[in-house]
Amino acid sequence: MTEASLYLLQQIINGLTIGSTYALIAIGYTMVYGIIGMINFAHGEIYMIGSYVSFIVITGLLAMGSFALPLVLFIALLVAMLIASTYGWTVERVAYRPLRGSNRLIALISAIGMSIFLQNYVALSQGSRDVALAPLISGSVLELGSLETFEVTLSWMQLLIWVVTLVTMTALTLFISRSRMGRACRACAEDLGMTNLLGIDTNRIISLTFVIGAALAAIAGLLLGLYYGVINPFIGFMAGLKAFTAAVLGGIGSIPGAMLGGLILGVTEALTAAYFPSEYKDVVAFGLLVTILLFRPTGILGKPEVEKV
Amino acid sequence: MAKSFKRFSKTLLAAATALTIAGTAHAETLKIALAGPATGPVAQYGDMQKIGVLAAIENLNANGGINGMDVEGVIYDDACDPKQAVAVANKIVNDGITHVVGHLCSSSTEPASDIYEEEGVLMITAASTSPTITEKGYGMIFRTIGLDSLQGSMASQYILETAKPSKIAVIHDKQQYGEGLATVVRDGLTAAGVEPVMFEGVTAGDKDFSALIAKLQKADVDFIYYGGYHPELGLILRQSAEKGLKAQFMGPEGIVNSDLAKIAGDAVEGVLATAPKAFDQNPENAERVKAIEAKGEDPTGPFVFPAYAAVQIMADTIKAIDSTDAVKMAEYIKANSFDTAIGTVKYDDKGDLTESTFLVYELHSDGSKTPAQ
Repeated sequence: MTEASLYLLQQIINGLTIGSTYALIAIGYTMVYGIIGMINFAHGEIYMIGSYVSFIVITGLLAMGSFALPLVLFIALLVAMLIASTYGWTVERVAYRPLRGSNRLIALISAIGMSIFLQNYVALSQGSRDVALAPLISGSVLELGSLETFEVTLSWMQLLIWVVTLVTMTALTLFISRSRMGRACRACAEDLGMTNLLGIDTNRIISLTFVIGAALAAIAGLLLGLYYGVINPFIGFMAGLKAFTAAVLGGIGSIPGAMLGGLILGVTEALTAAYFPSEYKDVVAFGLLVTILLFRPTGILGKPEVEKV
Repeated sequence: MAKSFKRFSKTLLAAATALTIAGTAHAETLKIALAGPATGPVAQYGDMQKIGVLAAIENLNANGGINGMDVEGVIYDDACDPKQAVAVANKIVNDGITHVVGHLCSSSTEPASDIYEEEGVLMITAASTSPTITEKGYGMIFRTIGLDSLQGSMASQYILETAKPSKIAVIHDKQQYGEGLATVVRDGLTAAGVEPVMFEGVTAGDKDFSALIAKLQKADVDFIYYGGYHPELGLILRQSAEKGLKAQFMGPEGIVNSDLAKIAGDAVEGVLATAPKAFDQNPENAERVKAIEAKGEDPTGPFVFPAYAAVQIMADTIKAIDSTDAVKMAEYIKANSFDTAIGTVKYDDKGDLTESTFLVYELHSDGSKTPAQ
């Protein structure tokens, strides 16, 4: 392969990695929107909390010693998912459910308030500084090309992000398409009032979507925390914004759309940084969003929908 | 009778209140505001300033204060955010404080300095190195730290004369401090006929630099100057190590921080940085270092002794002119030289130090630094 194509390959690998994590977070936005038509702006903070919990668990377990790394990561993942889900569920109960049925703007403001609350709560309880974790997974799976020209590397960490994302997304897709609860979710997305009339506890289904979204955000929190090794209480804002963009890009309300949107956004960012000055990364990423919304307001995979309001 | 007593009691109360207020005003405490980040991602630098200022204040108070006045440090948090810095500056003015040590980040210091100049507040920054702060020709604004431009030209000189790399990239964080420095370094290199192969910005707060690193690898650079702060450089170093990018990194004093090693681990070893001279290793400061360590604090931060010196300059001036009038003090500071914890300090017309206080250091993964060869 020529140097140019190796370089392109490397940037696509980088883009898919970051895109996978955008997709994981975007699911939370898209599922909630699909069912109750609100944008859960506190979702980015749930991702941040997931990151913090996994850091605390990993540091704790490593300090106790004598655990195998995969076991440590697995426990951290479970605990982070559990705690983040609890937060997701609580946020819905406390900040959104009492406002359901009122003007959408009110719920949106409540979400922004929740986001600020969670951010400051973590900043005060955990300190507002960067928390760092030494690299746990190093080395690369694949090295292509030669050191003299350009070498493509796929690190173990990147592979782990791909695999975990793939497994999670497959599990989610199966759950939504095959299980009873999944069917109830789809029914709620179609017509919440009708589903309620048919005897399905829609409150439970709505809680469930918050819990699933939060659990996926916690997975992304663990993965990105390990990948970058640094977290602070303010990472949720930008990650949330990017994931929200991914969700809108793919068609908000659509789960495959969120996955696709995440990957497209990640690759776009990487390629922009690759061939233009990297400060234009965000300009192009958000420019893409505007363009898509202009020509296809429902996003790439979104269905044109009758206005619900 | 009862009525007249009631009225009288009110007068008494008013008189007592007035006396109490006058009494507090007479208690002769000189308040010095410490403006800088106490929260946020660069709060460490705020701590360094706090350590230096409070140590200097304690030393003054232990020796009878300034002309019999006790000194008190009041902390104001600007979170290194220009908007909040303006609010803080207004609050300081409202609180009637006319002596400020701070702010830290150049982008905060600049808008705040406009307010201090207008309101006649004396400001000495121990950390802001952007040249634009003193370029406006203000009378009330001073520093106890050298300029960006000095640091930048020092870095480009070191690159040209000592490091002599073949391909240089200059990266910055698009902020006033980082981009300002990076521009000076690039111009210094270009002036000597060495053209950097890349000059690019990253977004502050960004976490993923894999695309940038691949680009650096493709350009085959062997020397990277980074203008910015430690959170981004730490991630760039860490991700470069993972991706196998082997290049010498160099940065300004904004990266000199033990957190850099926490983020980047072993990748920090050998990174170069221009930083203020390690004043804590100056034998003349041995007792001050001991006093700071006795409180369980770290005297090694690059801004600790510049902040210490800022308080010394204020105290010496008040002693010399026997007045706390900020405008008169500013005039005196410009006209005289001071013997401080950072050596003899003398100012030019703009309020800049006449002598550079920087050295090139090599950083280590345990968070320490040694002068570079």
